[in-house]
Amino acid sequence: MTRRIKSLQLRLTVELAALFFVASCLAVGGLIYSAAMTAGSLADRELGLRAEDLARYVSQDEQQKPRVELPPPLKQAYSEAAHQSLFAIRDKDGQLIEASTPEIGALTARWPQADTEPSYFRLSKFGPLERDYSGVSIRLDSAAGPLSVLVAEVSGGNQLVHSILREFVFDIAWYVPPFVALALLLATLSVRRSLLPLRAASAQASAIGPGSIALRLPEADVPTEALPLVVAVNHALDRLEQGFVIQRRFTANAAHELRTPLTIITARLDTLEGNGQLSALREEVARMNRLVEQLLCVARLDSLALDVSSPVDLHQLAEEVVGSIAHLALSACRTIALTGADYPVLVIGNPGAIADALRNLIENALAHTPPESEVVVEVGPEGTISVQDSGPGIPAEDRPHIFERFWRGKGVRTNGAGLGLAIVMEIVRAHGASITVTERVPRGARFDLRFGTA
Amino acid sequence: MRLLVIEDEDRLSGILKSKLGDIGFAVDIASSAADANAALELINYDAAILDLGLPDGDGLAVLMATRQSGKNLPILILTARDAVEERVVGLNAGADDYLTKPFAMAELIARIKALLRRPGGVLGMTLEAGNVRLDTVGRELVIGGIPVRLSRRELTIFEQMMRRFGRIVPKAVLEEKLYGIDEEPDSNPIPVHVHHLRRQLDAAGASLMIHTIRGVGYILAEAKA
Repeated sequence: MTRRIKSLQLRLTVELAALFFVASCLAVGGLIYSAAMTAGSLADRELGLRAEDLARYVSQDEQQKPRVELPPPLKQAYSEAAHQSLFAIRDKDGQLIEASTPEIGALTARWPQADTEPSYFRLSKFGPLERDYSGVSIRLDSAAGPLSVLVAEVSGGNQLVHSILREFVFDIAWYVPPFVALALLLATLSVRRSLLPLRAASAQASAIGPGSIALRLPEADVPTEALPLVVAVNHALDRLEQGFVIQRRFTANAAHELRTPLTIITARLDTLEGNGQLSALREEVARMNRLVEQLLCVARLDSLALDVSSPVDLHQLAEEVVGSIAHLALSACRTIALTGADYPVLVIGNPGAIADALRNLIENALAHTPPESEVVVEVGPEGTISVQDSGPGIPAEDRPHIFERFWRGKGVRTNGAGLGLAIVMEIVRAHGASITVTERVPRGARFDLRFGTA
Repeated sequence: MRLLVIEDEDRLSGILKSKLGDIGFAVDIASSAADANAALELINYDAAILDLGLPDGDGLAVLMATRQSGKNLPILILTARDAVEERVVGLNAGADDYLTKPFAMAELIARIKALLRRPGGVLGMTLEAGNVRLDTVGRELVIGGIPVRLSRRELTIFEQMMRRFGRIVPKAVLEEKLYGIDEEPDSNPIPVHVHHLRRQLDAAGASLMIHTIRGVGYILAEAKA
């Protein structure tokens, strides 16, 4: 079983190469064959002409006897190529008038009279040199009456045919392989060029993620054959985006519908004068507010594509988050500090989400650190933020679970719903960042967020 | 002082009206974008509280229309929507401050007062907290009824803290404010000024305390009893 070639380009190249090979073999073969044919007929014609030539120089002497008088150049040519080009001329009675060599003369003496139609023949291993000849014998008229003229030439020694073939093979057939190669190259390049828009579309497709659902594959320049696929993919993306938009609207509406009554409850409670019961109720509502915020945050992270492509200055962000949360720490009798890099530390991400993550980590730390102790937020120059508290720390066996939703440590009494760290984890995942939790010396927990630097 | 509350939720606007009324504001309520535009056209309010989600239009449109008609009253935006992007959009459209629902009433009142105290705002330029009163025009500080003298730099720092009472005052803000008046190149760094300031507040028996938020800035708050 042959393996199917998956690459369109390679397949086209291989198939075209095979086609070109067969076609050029046929073409070259055909050309050589027809050239040989032409050369053969040219050689025959040449022999005929030579015979006529010889007949032209036959005349009658004073005794009415035929005689051959070749012009000197021709005579010299025949004598120089004595065993190359043969001729023999006989009169109408079959008497030999002249022959280029005695052997051919002797041979022809035994032959019948020639006809006016040329008759072609071959001689094998003839003469002293035992060469092969091909020739013609024809009856021609001359000044001395009808003659039988025989002309033969060494076969294979036919210079004309050879030179034609040589010329063809070396001067013309030489062009065929480069032409084939060029055609293949053109075909390959053209395939590659027509596939380029598809590559662009693939690059675009790989850029489409939850954070960039508005992106579409480019339809311009895509080859007609691939266009239906690209269009269908784009339509599918349209429908997906529609789904995202509906989900987003739901989250926004849910946020609105939940926050407004909570605001009213909060405001009404604020206007009431009362005893300890009321402040307990206020605390409960504050918890509820926070829970709703966190649930909305989770819903948002679940349904919405987080755009994590903006440059974020971690130092500035940490400064803002710590600043916005500091008064809460103070009112809970804890302090908070920002240390580490006091210059811009750039990472790529979503500033709002990173701020959410940091806020949740700090709130978590403030909930566990004892009164009068300090929560330390540290920004590292390599795109890291750590949050350290002086609380009881997190037992090693709990560490794998703390980022699960609604998980709460055994025997740890906090007001949280167990969503904060889950939110942090979602945000960390969306950023391709990492978070680790370790022991802080001498006591406490330390969370390390690591982003890739910009 | 007259405020316009643009809010379609009757119960909330009712509470806002009574609560703001309690501390001496006259409050009008507009429950749609059309009402809001008409009211802002007719009356020169001292400030407005604007909910972005209105039944007949976007609160941002009201905000932009108001700014385009040349009114520069302070406008505080309320929204139940998710904050991050909207905050930027709202502030860019000409809002002066921004609160997300749910908010604490005390926070809203503090923000409104802060807006009214801005230069050109209608509230007097006297800032008060605990037993401390600071006249930002006359640059007079009175603690427990007794005038206290501060250096210019200390006064500038303290004014920023009073303006943002209970909230963070970033170092950068103080540096910026001091930059204008610091002719001496080798003047004391901010922590030294803050240290002096603390001693003066202590000595004068102020009921306020300056907390240092290391790496970020300072918070002026009521001292715990």
